[in-house]
Amino acid sequence: MSAQLITVILVVVVALGFDFTNGFHDTGNAMATSIATGALKPKVAVALAAVLNLVGAFLSVEVAVTVTNAVVSIQDSSGNPIPSLTADHGSALLLIILAGLVGGIMWNLATWLLGLPSSSSHALFGGLIGATVTGIGWGGVHWTGDATKLDGVVGKVILPALASPVVAAFVAMVGTWVIFKITARLGDRFNDGGFRWGQIGTASLVSLAHGTNDAQKTMGVITLALIGYGSWTDTTSIPLWVKFSCAAAIALGTYLGGWRIIRTLGKGIVEIEPRQGMAAQGSAAAVILASSQLGFALSTTHVATGSILGSGLGKPGAHVRWRVAGRMVVAWVITLPMAGLVGAACWWIGDVAGGGLTGAAAMVVVLLVASALMFVRSRREPINSDNVNDDWPEPSSVLAPGEPVAV
Amino acid sequence: MFSLFLQDAWKVLLYSLVLGAGLPVVYALGVRALAIGSAGTDAPAGAAVVRRHPVGTALATVCFLVVLAGVAVGLTYVIASGQGKMLSFEHVYPTLVPKS
Repeated sequence: MSAQLITVILVVVVALGFDFTNGFHDTGNAMATSIATGALKPKVAVALAAVLNLVGAFLSVEVAVTVTNAVVSIQDSSGNPIPSLTADHGSALLLIILAGLVGGIMWNLATWLLGLPSSSSHALFGGLIGATVTGIGWGGVHWTGDATKLDGVVGKVILPALASPVVAAFVAMVGTWVIFKITARLGDRFNDGGFRWGQIGTASLVSLAHGTNDAQKTMGVITLALIGYGSWTDTTSIPLWVKFSCAAAIALGTYLGGWRIIRTLGKGIVEIEPRQGMAAQGSAAAVILASSQLGFALSTTHVATGSILGSGLGKPGAHVRWRVAGRMVVAWVITLPMAGLVGAACWWIGDVAGGGLTGAAAMVVVLLVASALMFVRSRREPINSDNVNDDWPEPSSVLAPGEPVAV
Repeated sequence: MFSLFLQDAWKVLLYSLVLGAGLPVVYALGVRALAIGSAGTDAPAGAAVVRRHPVGTALATVCFLVVLAGVAVGLTYVIASGQGKMLSFEHVYPTLVPKS
């Protein structure tokens, strides 16, 4: 087995690892409200989300080989890696991709540990941008599009990230407000029981849309690595095994649950009742679908969290925990640059270690050590399906600020 | 680029308001109609006879059907876009066309 082959295998395994974190990081986007209101039992909710993500990942036959083009220039518009990176079975390309993925995973784990719903797409893109800056230079990053379309880091990542939570929050707020007007005189039998199915239905739509969007990103990245290595040449299709393994990884991750984030979304920001849950997920589903229909890139996480916040603003007399919401907004803003820093640092570590297989191995060791530390730290205050719905302590002690975390 | 962005964001907001707030509101109307239909909690306290209103039940059915149709369009969109197609509303009712 050649060194290059082992390197590409490491890239594929780490990419599937990212897909897995993408799954559990985002379970809450769809299911936190249904879990918080008791519309679904926690285990049932995550199982439903997992199945829908799996189905979603297979539904899409669209080719996402050019996914990195939105933010960096490591491949041309047809999907082939740029020639300067493909020497020696694409080892330069593989190093950049691996560093980007490691950056994305580490940031996802750190925010999970803190129970913060940050965007997995921003983590992946941030990691790739950081790795590209160190690997190629600032010129390798695709900052803005031309005047004819929204593209690049600004057009596809930053501007939508500013707009989509606000849009989603506004829609959910309006929906919640009107629904509460309409149903103000009804008793619990109708307001809780009647909205249960509406909640489950809208949450399922969000889950399905998540599977079709997010699994594609990892599939595209793995396929790019395979093309760089030289074992795949077709830029119009994705190898079947990549499709299967990505779908399985995101579904398994989703099933694992990411309970810390579910808890923040379902209990931390606002106390949610079924009518709000339906308004929030309905808004999230509509914003996600309308945006992809109009070709407007966005993050499921920003939309879902914005919607939940909006459902708190729209309910008469609801109490929004602005401290929690504020921490969440900070996490959104710093995800891209922080994942970028970690991605850049990883590339640098890989480069210092000599590049090639030793460089890749060094990055993987860093990733494993950091992940193990964060996992061990998480066991000190475990959150799982049993205590996910416990009352939110005031002031927040779950999200203890200033705790040192290994990043 | 910023004006392009505002145009897009504005359109997303408009579509989302109609679908994302509109359909849940229709659903809420359905629940309210259902309550009237079964003369549940809308009946004044102490009412001796609880009457059922078939009109309420019928209205509720219409509301839920509208919501289901909306969800069906959403689902079709998700599935179609995965197959390289998109929904077109040029004939008012949605049709599937290849992605532009």
